[in-house]
Amino acid sequence: MEAKPNTIYRALDRKAAAITEFTMRQYRTKASTWVVLGVGLVAISLVLLIYVDVMSTGFESIDNDGDSEDPDGDGYPTGQENKYGTDPYMATSNPGLLRPSIEPEPASNYIDEDGFDISISGTASAQSTGYDDDGDCRESDRTNSQKDTNGNGIVCDIELRYNQYQGDWDVDADRYVDEDPDDAAYAAEASHMAFVLGIGKMGFVLLLGMFLPLFLATGLIREEMNDGTMHFMLAKPIARTEVFLYRILGYLGIVWPYFIAIGLLFALISGFIGPSDGFFRFQDLGVWLAIIFATMMASFVYGMLFCALGTMWRFGIVLAIPFAAWELGMCIVSMGAPEAAILRFSVIGWALMIVDAAAVIVWPNMELFILQGQTMEDFGLIWSTSNALNFFYSEPGVGGSGLVSAVFATVVLLVQGAVFWLVGGAIFKGKEIE
Amino acid sequence: MPDFDQEGKGETQAWQPDLSAPAVLLEGVSKSYGRIFALSNITMALNGGVTGVLGMNGAGKSTMFKLLMGKLKPSQGKVRLFGTDPWKNPAPYARVGFVPEHEKMYDWMTAHQFVSTFARLNGLTRAEAMLEADRVLNFVGLADVAHKKIGQYSKGMRQRAKIAHALVNDPELIILDEPLQGCDPLARTTIMNVIRELGRMGRTVIVSSHILQEIERITEQIVILHNGRLLALGNLHAIREKLDQIPHRITIEADDAKALAKDVIDMDEVYGISFPDKKNLSIQTHNLGAIHAQLPAAIVNNGHRIHTIDNPDDDLASILGYLTSGGGL
Repeated sequence: MEAKPNTIYRALDRKAAAITEFTMRQYRTKASTWVVLGVGLVAISLVLLIYVDVMSTGFESIDNDGDSEDPDGDGYPTGQENKYGTDPYMATSNPGLLRPSIEPEPASNYIDEDGFDISISGTASAQSTGYDDDGDCRESDRTNSQKDTNGNGIVCDIELRYNQYQGDWDVDADRYVDEDPDDAAYAAEASHMAFVLGIGKMGFVLLLGMFLPLFLATGLIREEMNDGTMHFMLAKPIARTEVFLYRILGYLGIVWPYFIAIGLLFALISGFIGPSDGFFRFQDLGVWLAIIFATMMASFVYGMLFCALGTMWRFGIVLAIPFAAWELGMCIVSMGAPEAAILRFSVIGWALMIVDAAAVIVWPNMELFILQGQTMEDFGLIWSTSNALNFFYSEPGVGGSGLVSAVFATVVLLVQGAVFWLVGGAIFKGKEIE
Repeated sequence: MPDFDQEGKGETQAWQPDLSAPAVLLEGVSKSYGRIFALSNITMALNGGVTGVLGMNGAGKSTMFKLLMGKLKPSQGKVRLFGTDPWKNPAPYARVGFVPEHEKMYDWMTAHQFVSTFARLNGLTRAEAMLEADRVLNFVGLADVAHKKIGQYSKGMRQRAKIAHALVNDPELIILDEPLQGCDPLARTTIMNVIRELGRMGRTVIVSSHILQEIERITEQIVILHNGRLLALGNLHAIREKLDQIPHRITIEADDAKALAKDVIDMDEVYGISFPDKKNLSIQTHNLGAIHAQLPAAIVNNGHRIHTIDNPDDDLASILGYLTSGGGL
């Protein structure tokens, strides 16, 4: 070879680029690749359709405390009658008979009139928060014990008690405090965030991040061995661990752009459709980027592992399936108990930690937001959307700030991938090729 | 560990061929699968020239090549390519070209893409690989179809594409596993010419076949494998002379076998005649060539009508049978 300077580009343009390009082209010529990518897109798009449908239908706000109604038919809603001390169940008692006479207010004034006023301050394990916006708790004709139904000695408040066993807050509100919040706004926001986290974790990281490698990476070495075409590659001065690595690079060259494209598409669609003050939910982009990144990392580690299993045994996919089942289980565990030690022995646990970390950074008030929903235990819409969000949202299980968790999880995933590469390479190296 | 310099030097960056070592060295090499020996106790060294490896299907030719190419690990013995163990270190492949017997190729690539892609595994850059692909495809006579998909190639063109891929980087040792199998006569001739040319260029070429006549046309230096054992190694003429001592049969199907026998029996080289059935005449001889030289005249001059002439023993199986049984058919 002539003595041209061996730049990094010139170096990589040889073996690594050759096998990577070759592998990508090989994928593109196979119908099975397009079927797998297509099925992945269709499956995940179905979930998107449900989301679009929910968001475009919208949520209807309900009058949670029923004070917009007018049971006695005198034209004054219950809330207004309560305010002026008249009897809402007797038509002959209403604010219009007072001096001076009061005009009836529209019923809509008494829908969503007592929104959430919850905050957490400091680290005290029991805190008093909340404010009775519409004054129906603070009515003068009620006794103090009626105003302090949670019995914490403070009238018309919400008590937060830290539950050290579950690591979250128990909510105990006095009656008539924050009892009629804006259901529609809450449900839209909670559903949107639950969708982003849910499809991000289960749709992208788990489904795409694991099933694509299952079908695309398992045969990366094995199929060449079966076909006899591996002889061409291995007749060259190249170590088998190198072939293994560059084949994986080729596989990533196909699946990573796919994840990025679909991820950005979803980010755009949900950003425009989701509830927002502006025209686009820019803040969500951070979470979407983390979802894409976590999916890429998961597919990298799974690719290495499944390719190694395929190299090890002709029916490597049989070995991969129990592992996939384990990962599915770990995915669900990570939603409920992100701090569980068993998650450290999974790939998905670390990948989802990246998503959790981004959610903590991008949506810092999430905990409070979920807590608000918990005050509405008796009512459907807020409570159920809050619960869904609570299921998909979890704080990164290793402690520390979001950024630290994300970096740590990324490093662990890289190490996992490297270990699977070395193991796979060693298996490949010891394989006799007929 | 990956080769970060990407220059195709294999695992040991500083690999240097052992100049005193032969290109190919097998010492007491056996390869067994369970209790079945695919190769047993093969010892040979090859350096320079064209060597034909002759053996029937299952004789161990491909197994031997796969051992040489580090695809298989020897059960016993020592395999060395330029003094290096190929199972442990792929570095010697920088100087080796290998044409596997497998039919399957990357049908979706053009020959040029195929050759240039794999040339880059020898440490060539993209641009260098393109030029190299042009050169080797021209050498095997595929220049005009180089940009057609391999899937559209005939069997002979596919074999030539495989040979071209092995010739990248001008290797010193070229191993061809059954390169003539399934090729039409024209392709056969082209491939044989390529192999002879490589020999003339001073390369060490090892080519396997199960057809004696093919090997004869390529080289004089042959190795005969049978049932995993090394049966003969050396100059074809020496082996041939020995083979000429084998009694041969010529079977002729004629209208009047008995009349033909009368005209043939007088030939010096004929030592026996028999009639397997009414239409067939079987001649026994020690000198096949002489009989074949005289036979046409004997037939034409005496106005015999014949249908077929066959040499049932002049195939590898009979020769191997003779060699293995120590004479006598």
